[in-house]
Amino acid sequence: MSELAVEVKNLTKVFATGLSKDYVVAVDNLSFEVKAGEVYGLIGPNGSGKSTTMKVVLGLMAASKGSAKVFGLDSGDIRARNEIGFLPENPYFYKHLSGAETLKFYGKLCGIRGPELKNRIAELLELVDLEDAANRRLGGYSKGMLQRIGLAQTLIQNPRLVILDEPTAGVDPVGSRQIRDLIMKLRDDGYTVFLCSHLLEQVQEVCDRVGIIFKGRMRREGSLDELIAIEDQTAMTLKGASPELMEKINALVAEDGKAQVLEQGHPRTTLERLFINIAGKRKENAEDE
Amino acid sequence: MSDSNATTPTLRPPTAKVPLFSLGRVWTIAASTVTQLVRMKTFYFLLAFALVVVAVGNFNIPTTPAKELSMIKKVSFGTMDLFAWLFAIVSTALLIPRDLEDRTLYTILSKPVRRIEYLVGKLGGVLFVVGVSLLAMYAICAVMIYARETAFIGAEFEAMQADSRYSQEEIAEQLTLIQKQGLRAELGIAVLASFLKASVVAAVTIFLSTFASSSLFTIIVSVLLFLIGHAHTMATNFWLHQSDSNLFVQMLVKVIKILIPNYQLFSFSEGVVQGEAINYAVVSQMGMLTGGYLVVFLLLSLLVFVDKEF
Repeated sequence: MSELAVEVKNLTKVFATGLSKDYVVAVDNLSFEVKAGEVYGLIGPNGSGKSTTMKVVLGLMAASKGSAKVFGLDSGDIRARNEIGFLPENPYFYKHLSGAETLKFYGKLCGIRGPELKNRIAELLELVDLEDAANRRLGGYSKGMLQRIGLAQTLIQNPRLVILDEPTAGVDPVGSRQIRDLIMKLRDDGYTVFLCSHLLEQVQEVCDRVGIIFKGRMRREGSLDELIAIEDQTAMTLKGASPELMEKINALVAEDGKAQVLEQGHPRTTLERLFINIAGKRKENAEDE
Repeated sequence: MSDSNATTPTLRPPTAKVPLFSLGRVWTIAASTVTQLVRMKTFYFLLAFALVVVAVGNFNIPTTPAKELSMIKKVSFGTMDLFAWLFAIVSTALLIPRDLEDRTLYTILSKPVRRIEYLVGKLGGVLFVVGVSLLAMYAICAVMIYARETAFIGAEFEAMQADSRYSQEEIAEQLTLIQKQGLRAELGIAVLASFLKASVVAAVTIFLSTFASSSLFTIIVSVLLFLIGHAHTMATNFWLHQSDSNLFVQMLVKVIKILIPNYQLFSFSEGVVQGEAINYAVVSQMGMLTGGYLVVFLLLSLLVFVDKEF
């Protein structure tokens, strides 16, 4: 059995509202596991309990009931937090620090010092493509750059688990793509990634397994293939098919009697991919000029 | 989903063990707080303000040299003291709520950092900046006092020498009088008193900021507590020693006396500035009392902060 990076068991989190006796159940008897080395996405609409679950896993909140463990350690344990790199939604770091100083600060908090820290900072700045902005204060960073320096910060102590809360929130499509590529790279480098998002396409692209949470409860969970495959349908994409060939195919399907063509036409790219292609070409042209 | 699914990557090894409490982490947070405060505009504003008032204290006043020196010291040390406690309140009140508002606290506390380390680091950073600022102001002030003292002594000596009515003893007595109001090592104790007072003020403010909802609220309440803390003796004399005070009022005053530090105890420095002899027993008592207040308010802060949910 593979090692568990996150183990949430019967987690319930209740918030009291004001001084009255009213309360809100943010997370209701939630259980799930994240295996070491996988990318797990917890998806759900705003207010579904994703961030609360994440905060309990991070030890920033205590569970009202149930438990959350990180690599077998209670989430409140300081040793568990050394195994975690966390990127909050729209992160704000100290604006008075530069990118390199920010990484140095977080590195020192994790007990890294001297040449080891210096090398690690250089390595991470390269990974997130912020070498040129290393000495610029974060006050002058764009949202995408902040997100990338945030991602570098999560990796400073080489944690085994990376927790990302809405990692591409408010970032433009190009920046969003860069972050997604980084997440893929993290998985390839052996990190476990646990992310929360309500952007389904993003989750679909990067996650191995997904949990769908709604009103604090887990509604569906499984591998992406299991969840999104439509078992009784088969898709076929042809290139350079003539009208004659299409007629033949349609005739064959009609002969079968059981099967039927549900959809036929030119496949479409997504607006996001189109935008990235155009932006990418513009960038290339500008570099050539 | 990526094609990289096909290959199974090697899992990362566990991270190095972290100590349960680390002075290194406290130091890192303190150093970051110092950088933050140094780069905040309020710090420069307060320092400039303090320097201007110190300069104003050096205006020529039509009185005797000894009285003029005494006045300069009064204004300079009063300004330093004001700067120290006001800066301690404002800077401390801004730090934790801002970290929370900006969610910087999330990223800090999601690292292997204990909440007590965060609180002690923040307080340490504030106290370091207050201490360094006080020393810088004291250095400027000392140079000015020494310059004025030397000028006064030279002028007074020449004037008295030229006047045949004064004997050598009278001249020496007059010069001693000026020297007594000049630069003396004992003035350092007054700076220390300001620092100790600012330390207690910062500890009280950090406690308030652990549960206050805004920086403004923390600043206002801290200033109020500071003012009340100066009325300890007055309140005791008025309410506790009066037989017609009812039990509720007496209890209330006693509770306030316990909860709010007695800042009046630190005012012994005013006498030191005016050239009075130092009672070192009082100084050491102040040191111990400050240590006690720091420990108590840090523990109270931790009590609130340790279970705080973000």
